[in-house]
Amino acid sequence: MTSTPAVSGGCPMGYGAQAPADHHGYEPFAMEDPFPAYARMRSEQPVMFDERTGLYVVTRYDDVKEVFEKWETFSSENAQAPVRKRGPQATQIMTEGGFTTYSGLSARRPPEHTRIRAIAQKAFTPRRFKALEPLIRENVKASIKAMLDRGDDHGDIVADLAYSLPTVTILTLIGEDTSSVDTYKRWSDSRAAMTWGDLSDEEQIPHAHNLVEYWNRCQEIVARAHAEGGDDLTADLVKAQSEGGEISDHEIASLLYSLLFAGHETTTTLISNCVRVLLDHREAWEALCAEPKQIPKAIDEVLRYSGSIVGWRRKALEDTEVAGVAIPEGGELLLLMGSANRDESRFENGEDFDISRSNARDHLSFGFGIHYCLGNMLAKLQAKIALEELTSALPDLQLLDGEHISFRKNLSFRVPEQINVSLNAH
Amino acid sequence: MAKVHFTDFEGATQVIEATTGDSVMETAVRNGVEGIVGECGGSLSCATCHVFVAAQDFEALEPMEEMEDEMLYGTAVDREENSRLSCQIKLCAEQEIHVTTPETQV
Repeated sequence: MTSTPAVSGGCPMGYGAQAPADHHGYEPFAMEDPFPAYARMRSEQPVMFDERTGLYVVTRYDDVKEVFEKWETFSSENAQAPVRKRGPQATQIMTEGGFTTYSGLSARRPPEHTRIRAIAQKAFTPRRFKALEPLIRENVKASIKAMLDRGDDHGDIVADLAYSLPTVTILTLIGEDTSSVDTYKRWSDSRAAMTWGDLSDEEQIPHAHNLVEYWNRCQEIVARAHAEGGDDLTADLVKAQSEGGEISDHEIASLLYSLLFAGHETTTTLISNCVRVLLDHREAWEALCAEPKQIPKAIDEVLRYSGSIVGWRRKALEDTEVAGVAIPEGGELLLLMGSANRDESRFENGEDFDISRSNARDHLSFGFGIHYCLGNMLAKLQAKIALEELTSALPDLQLLDGEHISFRKNLSFRVPEQINVSLNAH
Repeated sequence: MAKVHFTDFEGATQVIEATTGDSVMETAVRNGVEGIVGECGGSLSCATCHVFVAAQDFEALEPMEEMEDEMLYGTAVDREENSRLSCQIKLCAEQEIHVTTPETQV
């Protein structure tokens, strides 16, 4: 269904961004191996208008970072808009279901964004994460044990570890029932597909039902925190409100709608990618087994080399330009962080995975500036604990069939679907 | 001209002239001072611009806000009495400040 007309963006003609017929090999929703096309766009046309999606595609490091930084010109308001227009059936389901949210934070703009982020940030702090560290470690150990206990010496890192670990963590933080992992994963898959996927009107229908359920649950969690209190993030937000904090129930529920998605979806991918990429570069895996102190640095290199989100949108609020290419007012941009992270002008031998790289942390996988990923520290903490336990318990872990890993079709999220491993446990 | 004296964990010092109104983090990043990362760009979300401020300069700074205090619990090298996040230290004209960077920000 890639023939749907462009949803937005002005006529590219006369702006110097018109794409050649082959789009330098770029396919907006193909995630198997987008990197050769990224490299070609960086060198051949660093700002390209993709008429199939109506997006100006930005691929160089300095340009991506500059757009993130200039939030007054480049608004985040389109960050959560469906890439493919919502069809009539889905629209009806969502209207009738009382679906009234749009974004918790990422698509909000100052001053509203500044106000809500300040409140959210206070409830989402390193001290709170650190208190969860023992629980996270126990959960990793339990997942490893369950894999071993199956006795077939095989595992799928996605299903057996990465799927539930961060989901249990965020559910715990928010004060939601940790047995509802499957429900939240179903809702989150629907959210990713409805917003960044390439669905036909028909295909949208089940996802629309899921989003209605998901949003209703977020509102119920807020109501419950009002009634019962508690020692969790939702209760903190409700308390902040009762003490005069300027945040409405709808805004708190919207924040939950964000956190209960962003809080695990991309961390599941990060943990999966850590194992996938490290096992695919055996010397790096062995270096971590020998010296676990290097794990945090290696995680930054995985984030650079293979981030969970490879592209993110912005909208120009005025006539402007990026790298000398005119962008009209209302023009929508796709910042390809997955490409920026391999830009040779910033990262020497950018296409190589190298855990000893000194500037891996300059990657843009968490964005940059006012919308910088709120959960970055929690994501990295969980990946670190997972790798510490895996390298110590299963140093002989081996990737099986690594060249045939499939990735979900999506504009922004690059999600490996399974990572089969041989445990080689002794 | 404001000036920042950056001393790394091994004792080597470099003095950087700074633009008034810039933060200590921005001054470091713009001048390639190693030991400060500033990954999030100053949005108080990453705690990778942690510095130890010299005693005589520490007292002169505006007191830190609650969120900076919270984020200092997330630094790679444990916080001390004179710890600050350098993205929150904005430089006044002619201000001179001495900071030491931790062994790692990761």
